[in-house]
This record gives sequence, C-alpha cells and structure tokens, in this order.
Amino acid sequence: MTTASIVFVVDDDPSVRSSIKFLLSTVGLQVESFESADTLLHKKLPDVPSCLVLDVRLRGLSGIDIQRTLAARNIQIPIIFLTGHADIPMSVRAMKAGAIEFLTKPFRDQDLLDAVRVALEQDRARREKEVEVTDLQRRFDSLTAREQQVIAMLVSGMLNKQIASELGTAESTVKVQRSRAMEKMQAQSLVDLAKMIEKIKGPSEKAS
Amino acid sequence: MTSERQPAQTDREREESALRYSEENYRLVVETAPDAVISIDERGAILFANPATARIFGHDPTELIGKPLTTLMPEFLRKLHEKGFSRYLATGQRHINWQGTELTALRKNGQEFPVEISFGELSRDRHKVFTGFIRDISERKQTEEMRAAHARQIAVRADVSMAFGKDEGLKAILGECSEAIVRHLDAAFARIWTLSDDRKMLELQASAGMYTHLDGPHSHIPMGEFKIGMIAQERKPHLTNDVLNDPRISNRAWAEKEGMASFAGYPLSVGDRTIGVLAMFSRKQLTPDTTETLASGADLIAQGIERKRAQEALQMTQAELARVSRLTTMGELAASIAHEVNQPLTAVTNNSNACLRLLAADNLKPEVLRRALEEIVADGNRASAIVTRIRGFIKKEPAEKNRVDINDVIQEVLALADRELYENRVRLERQLTKALPLVLADRVQMQQVLLNLIMNGIEAMIAVTNEPRSLWVESRVDESGDILVAVRDSGTGLGSGADRIFTPFFTTKASGMGMGLSISRSLVENHGGRLWAAPNFPIGAVFSFTLPVSAGSPV
Repeated sequence: MTTASIVFVVDDDPSVRSSIKFLLSTVGLQVESFESADTLLHKKLPDVPSCLVLDVRLRGLSGIDIQRTLAARNIQIPIIFLTGHADIPMSVRAMKAGAIEFLTKPFRDQDLLDAVRVALEQDRARREKEVEVTDLQRRFDSLTAREQQVIAMLVSGMLNKQIASELGTAESTVKVQRSRAMEKMQAQSLVDLAKMIEKIKGPSEKAS
Repeated sequence: MTSERQPAQTDREREESALRYSEENYRLVVETAPDAVISIDERGAILFANPATARIFGHDPTELIGKPLTTLMPEFLRKLHEKGFSRYLATGQRHINWQGTELTALRKNGQEFPVEISFGELSRDRHKVFTGFIRDISERKQTEEMRAAHARQIAVRADVSMAFGKDEGLKAILGECSEAIVRHLDAAFARIWTLSDDRKMLELQASAGMYTHLDGPHSHIPMGEFKIGMIAQERKPHLTNDVLNDPRISNRAWAEKEGMASFAGYPLSVGDRTIGVLAMFSRKQLTPDTTETLASGADLIAQGIERKRAQEALQMTQAELARVSRLTTMGELAASIAHEVNQPLTAVTNNSNACLRLLAADNLKPEVLRRALEEIVADGNRASAIVTRIRGFIKKEPAEKNRVDINDVIQEVLALADRELYENRVRLERQLTKALPLVLADRVQMQQVLLNLIMNGIEAMIAVTNEPRSLWVESRVDESGDILVAVRDSGTGLGSGADRIFTPFFTTKASGMGMGLSISRSLVENHGGRLWAAPNFPIGAVFSFTLPVSAGSPV
C-alpha cells in the first residue's frame, strides 16, 4: 500500500479510536481519527485514496447517517462499519448502501486490515477511472457541436453517407469533421472512440 | 255465685258464700291454667293435680293422687328433693328458691324436660300443704339454646375468618383458630394438623387450651394411624361422648385423670382432598350444635388453609416472575451493555494485536509497548467496572430496605439507561429536587421499577419520528408529604389499553411479557407507595410513583 492513502476512523470511544489507529499504523497506514460524524463531515477530505472506518452507534449522527450524507453529497468513499453487537437489519441496510464490510466488535485484526486494503484499492481504482473519464470529457468538450453530433452518429453505427444525408451536408464534409474529431479525442480507431464515449456517458447518465 | 238462701243472710252465710266464691274462682284458675298445678302434703304425696298436668306430664291427674311427688322427677333429683324437703320440714331452711326455679322434670314416657317451678305452702289443721306451679319451658329453653349455639357458631366462624384475614403465617393463623374453638366451644384443648405434601404425615400446626406445645408425641402422626390419622384417611369425623369406653381413644388413663368426657375430630377437606385434621377434647358432652359448629369451622379452616397456600404460592411465583422480568429488562439492556463492554474489549484486542504484529516484525519499541500495556490495563479496569455496575441488577436477593436518597437511585438508573437514551435520540431532562427526605426502600427493587418506567418511555417514543423525543424524570415531595417520582415521555401515549396496562401479561409490545408494570406496581405497593399512569400533555404518558418518607428522615 502506498503512503499516499489515508484511513479515517470515527468512533466516540477514545481508547477504541487510538487502538485502531495503533493497529493500522503497524501496517504502515496513515490514519486520521474523529470522535464524531460532524467533525468528519466538516472537514474537506484530501484528494487521495481513502476509506472510512465508522462505528454504527455514535452520539449525534450515527454511522448510517454519515453514509447517507456522504452519498447525498456524491462523495464516494468506501465505508467499513464497526458495531458493538450484530444488528442484522442494520448491517443489511449498510451493506445495501454500499458498505465494504460490517465488523462486530471486538473484531479479528486481520479482518479489519483486509477490509481496509480492499476499500483503499477500490477507492484507488475508482479515482483512476475518474481521472481518465475527466480527461476524456475534457477532450470531448473541446469538440465543436457539429463534431460531437457526427461522433454520436458514428458510434451509434451510421455510415458517412447516412450521416451526411441526415445532417443535409456533403459526405466529404462529414469525413473531414470525423477525422478532426478522432484527432482531438486521440482515438486510434472507431472502436477506440466508441469505448471512450461509453466511459463518458456512463457516469454522466447515472448522475442525471 | 249468689247465696243459696234468699231471705236473710247471716254473717256466716256471707262468709261461706264468699269462701265458696273464692274456692270456685280458685278452681277455675287452677283448672284452666296452662301450667301444671300440683299440691302435696307433708309426706310428699300428691293431693291434687290440675288438668294441665296430664298435658305436661302425661299422667292422668286422678292417677297421681297419693303418689309421691318424686314420680314426676328424674332419678338424679329424687334424693336431692327428699333430702331438701325433709330438711325444710325440720328446720324451715329452704334448699331452693321457691319462685321461678329451673329444674328438670320427668314425663310419664320417661322423657326429661326443663321446667320452671314456683310454689308456696299453706297450713291447714296443723298440716302443711305445698302447692306448686310447674311450667314446661322446653320450647323456651330450646330457643335460647339455639340462639346461643347460633351465636357460638357465628363467633367461631368470625374468629376463623378474621384469623385468615390477617397478614400472618399459616401457623399463627391456625393457632388463632384453635384458640377460638377452645374459647367458644368450651373445649379442654383443640388442635389442628395439616397433611404433608407427600400425603403421608399429619403435622401438628396449632394447639390451644390446656396444651399449647407443638413438639410432643402428637406432632407427627402417620396417615391412617391413631384416631387422628384414621380421621384423615377415612375422611370422616369421629365423635364420642364416652371417651373412656371409646376403642379409638388410646390414652384412657390420661382421659380419666383429666376428666375428659368427649372427643370430636373432623377431617379438613377441600373437595375430595383431605388436607388436615381438626380435633378437640372436652370435659363436657358434645351437643349437636357443638358438632355442627365444629363441622362448619373445619370447612372454613380447610378453605382458609387452601387459600392461604394458593396465596403463598402466588407470591412465590410473583417473586420469581419479578426476577425473570428483571432478567428480561436486562435482556433488553443487554444490547447496549454488550456495546459498553465491547468497547474496552475491542481496544484491548487491537492494542495487543498491534503489539504482536510489531513484535513479529521485530519492530516493537519498549516505549510503544509500555504505552500499549498502559492502555490495555486501563481498558481492562473499565470493563470490570461496567460488570460490577451490572451485577447489582442481576442479584437474586430478598427485599432489603435501607434509607436511600431516591435521587441517587435515579442517577444510577439513568447512567445505565444512558446508552439506550441517546441511541434512540431521546433528550433527557432531569428535574430532581435537591435534599429530598430519605425513603426506606430496597435500592435494587426501586432501580428495577425506574428502569422499567424509563425503558417503557423510550419504547413508547420509538414510533415518534416527526417530533423531538423527550423524557423527563422528576423527583419531589408531593402534597401529602410523600416522595414522588415521575417519568414523563412524549411517546404514543396510553391509548385504548390504558386501564389494562397494570394487568399481568398485558402488553402492547411485540416482545415483552407484560409483567413489567404489574410487578413494578406491586414492588412500589410493598414499599407502602402507589404507582399510576396518566396522559401527558400535549402527547405521551406520565408514570408516577410515591414512596413514604422514612421515619426520622431529616426534612
């Protein structure tokens, strides 16, 4: 694991908090701990692969509340829940809402370390993908409206001639716009371009 | 009525006429009198008997003429009469009252009956004539006797009922029952045995009268043996007015020495089950009304014993249920307690595991280890403190009343319920009056009552999602000077089950035995207080209980 990652621990019990920090530090993880959800939510989270270790039962906002609030803010940070006793309905709810793991206190240290590793890897992968998509989006945004139109038609499987007739323009014009767009998108082939558009469309469609 | 000779009445004639009139009058009175009128001479021979004599004694009056007066007396009075009569003639000393004396007379058919006698004497020709009025008072006597018997029966029943109404042990109650029998039925002594659970042994529970010890040879009588054991086995009373010749009475010499005349023993039965024996010895004869009173007393005592035992069994069950309910409340709390204990355990495990990892990597610095161990010790102590706090709740101990400050109890319970309160987002408000007088209470039981009310309040607010959830705990002195504790919630309120919430096994909860409030109420009542529920305004319910202030408490 790289030192660039960070684990956020939220537990209202100071000794539990510091013991988790101590445990995670033995495998070289950087840990930042909070006594309540509020202090965490008021903090601007650093832009590095990270995950949350959350106690379900907290004073004020509970762990589940934090999960809900983060989701509402579209902050996609993996969460590992800790609980004093196995509360099945609550754990089901948390897992459905996308939690990585639900551990019952006192947990096996390896279980926590494994869960943290999975969470950080998942977050790193998500971030890498997010960086790529952002880049593609930026390239796509640099296209003219007509170029974007042509690309969309191409990806949907239309031939140059069909696009020209649809747009009421010459086939040669379409060819020029097509090659210019391919260049701007840095696409090697039509298939490559199709994959790029797919990546851009994915999250943006979900978000709407 | 008038003179016989018309022309002139001499003084003598007038005298004679007056005398005749008087005699006539006397004859009329005597012949129509409802009482027997009998005259005797100095020898005690009957000179005259009126017609009523026939009705009362069954003798034709003419038959009686010349017969001795003792003909009309039972055997046991004849000698007495003769002695007294001759003494009177010799000395003029009366041996009985001459007016309204009650005696026993004898009818021709041999039947004895009570009479009231009034008589006087008359001297004629130096001879004395005695004339008596003899009234049959059988009916009056019978009525009186019935009344007295009835009164005795009522007295026995009343005393037995009263004994069973007292809040005492069975032995003490049966002691009072046997005393009532001795007192009202003139018994030499009375005893009550109860049958053991295995139905093999009769155990002496009470003895009143000349013997009051319970540890003698009669303290344990095997079923079916001796007169008492046989009464129990046969489920039939044994009655005798001839103790000395009764084959079942074994200690004849004792009975003779003590002058015992009668014995009566009754089985104590409930339905077709014998549960004991009631018995008495008396120096007097048993009369039908005595035995009737004993029989009804035995019934009452048997029912009383049965009821008392059922009551005791119920009390035991209730105590057991109270314990179970306490454990159930504990179960409800277990979730949050598990969390509390798990916190330090988690920290201990984490710190230890971290050290082990560093040790395996040969990277455990003494300073790091020392700090970890210090935390482990601190968390271990914390866990044990929590366990100690819980232990007080699960002890199975009888009520132990001490003078306590109810505010301390409230604080202890709130500390335990703390987790439950904030997890359910309940805002707690304490309204505790400082320096309250102390109450005499069992601390653990009062904790249980309060915990129950608080947990109920929290549960009543779970359904409330659009309003703040608030719980108020209040302590103060009420109008009558008692300590009042109120637990107020902003929950769903009492609703339609309001009048049944204190009934055992009534519950509105999905899980729950419905024992909490009923047990809480009986615990409070055992402390001399009250527990009740009322609606809270604008929403919710308020449960209040009072406890009397302990005597000598500083106010």
